[in-house]
Amino acid sequence: MSHILILARLTMLENARKQVFHVVTLLTLTIICASVLLSFFTLGVQVKILKDLCMTSILFCGGVLAIALAATAIPGEVESRTCYPTLARPVTRCQLVLGKYFGTLFTVYIGLAVIGLAFAALLVGRHALDWLLVLALGYALLEVAIIAAISMCLSTFTTPAVAAMVSFLVFIAGSAKIGYFRPLVENVDNPVAKAMVKGVYHLLPNLESFNFKDALVHRLHVPESYLIQVAVYGVLYAALALTVAKYAFSRKEL
Amino acid sequence: MQSAISTFDFTKVYKLRHGKTKVAVSSLDLDVCQGEIFGFLGPNGAGKTTTIKTLLGFIHPTSGRAEILGIPVDRPEARIPVGYLPEQPYFHKFMTPVEIISMHAGLSSVPRRERKDRVQEVIHMVGLSEIAKIPVSKLSKGQVQRIGLAQALVGDPKILILDEPASGLDPLGRRQVRDLLLRQREMGRTIFLSSHLLSEIETVCDRVAVLSHGKLTAMGTPGEIKEDSNKTTVTTQGLKAESLAKVDELGATAYYSEGDNIITVESSKLYDLIDILRDADLPLTSVMPERESLEDAFLRFAA
Repeated sequence: MSHILILARLTMLENARKQVFHVVTLLTLTIICASVLLSFFTLGVQVKILKDLCMTSILFCGGVLAIALAATAIPGEVESRTCYPTLARPVTRCQLVLGKYFGTLFTVYIGLAVIGLAFAALLVGRHALDWLLVLALGYALLEVAIIAAISMCLSTFTTPAVAAMVSFLVFIAGSAKIGYFRPLVENVDNPVAKAMVKGVYHLLPNLESFNFKDALVHRLHVPESYLIQVAVYGVLYAALALTVAKYAFSRKEL
Repeated sequence: MQSAISTFDFTKVYKLRHGKTKVAVSSLDLDVCQGEIFGFLGPNGAGKTTTIKTLLGFIHPTSGRAEILGIPVDRPEARIPVGYLPEQPYFHKFMTPVEIISMHAGLSSVPRRERKDRVQEVIHMVGLSEIAKIPVSKLSKGQVQRIGLAQALVGDPKILILDEPASGLDPLGRRQVRDLLLRQREMGRTIFLSSHLLSEIETVCDRVAVLSHGKLTAMGTPGEIKEDSNKTTVTTQGLKAESLAKVDELGATAYYSEGDNIITVESSKLYDLIDILRDADLPLTSVMPERESLEDAFLRFAA
């Protein structure tokens, strides 16, 4: 466990120096802060738009950061040969994958925490802060964990650029899975194509489930059993992706 | 006594494109004893790095096996007693030497309360004290090499695997590394040393192995692998034409250098040569048996 923590800390220090982290975080922060300009709406509408805009920005920022940082974490270590002294220790490849993963995740979480605080401050200013914000942000973090795991998994098979690109497609497709993919599955007639589309459908993560933006905006009740189901699904999906990443990286010759 | 490092019929074949293959190491049997400095020699592409990478679990053998202190190298426990210095150590450029060495102390499971003292100890040992808090990006190649040595030593390893430890170091630095290696041997550590600096190898190694085209071509003490040339060099002064003719008759070769006549003769004819010199009343300045240098032996085995 201590090895994973040491590697995670190193990864965080490394990521904190990457330009993409600062640019994306600052850009999202700017968008959120600029939303105070929505003063021409009535207060109720203003709060709804603010919540909608901020949650969309947080989800997008989290996804982009997770993809950009996770796709380069392990290949970067191999390419720069900094992994040699590390793996010459009694450090397993699994520990390296997990250290890199958690380091990446915590970096993204730090960025999102700053953005989340700015969002919360805006809601406090409008007397519109409620516990649903914690729920929505918590599940956004879980969604980021899945995307980072997928991106890291793909980076053990292919180049960082391809891994990032495919991860982004998965991020977009996963976010639109229920709305667009399900009708597609039902409308395809060719049995082979249908099986293929079905396969992709089941393989894609259902990222829509982690999006509680509507619940936050419209103050909807979310059943606890559903929350538990989604959380378990998210943890299992990320764990599965990391298991594949560990297996692929263990077989890799350095 | 248990071997520190051993390989048994270890073979590594790389798969190339279009179904082609390349044999990097073929049926290598190595046996490195505990407490010795073992030199691992070979020209570029001989398979030295492949062997080292296998010992550290970076790559997997195609056939055969390798062990460190009797533990198969594919198990992480095999790396507990190992300190490794890569050929060109790379570290995160934003980190300082003290941060890098502390991190590796942590990865080597040095207890937290001992970590600070241990880090300071190795920093002092490799001469990094003055630059301990300067980021790697601002350090020279030789200084980075010293960080590599320090991180290899910080876990108090029983076995050191060093790939070109003197690379990038100035003559003073090389001398310091040589002294450091000898001190490590005195402390009972085993050192597996891959280097192209044959004079260094000859000075510090108890045994050497020469690898060529992936095959072990020689293994033994430097004295064992160097061939006896069966010739002796005699130095005298004032050799005249008459004596020179007799020397030629012996089949010896003579040349003049800085006031000395240097004669090389087959060892079996040494006494005949001495008789010639005595008859001519010439001084005998030195008599030296001619031995092959490690470099000559290396070139012979690597060919």
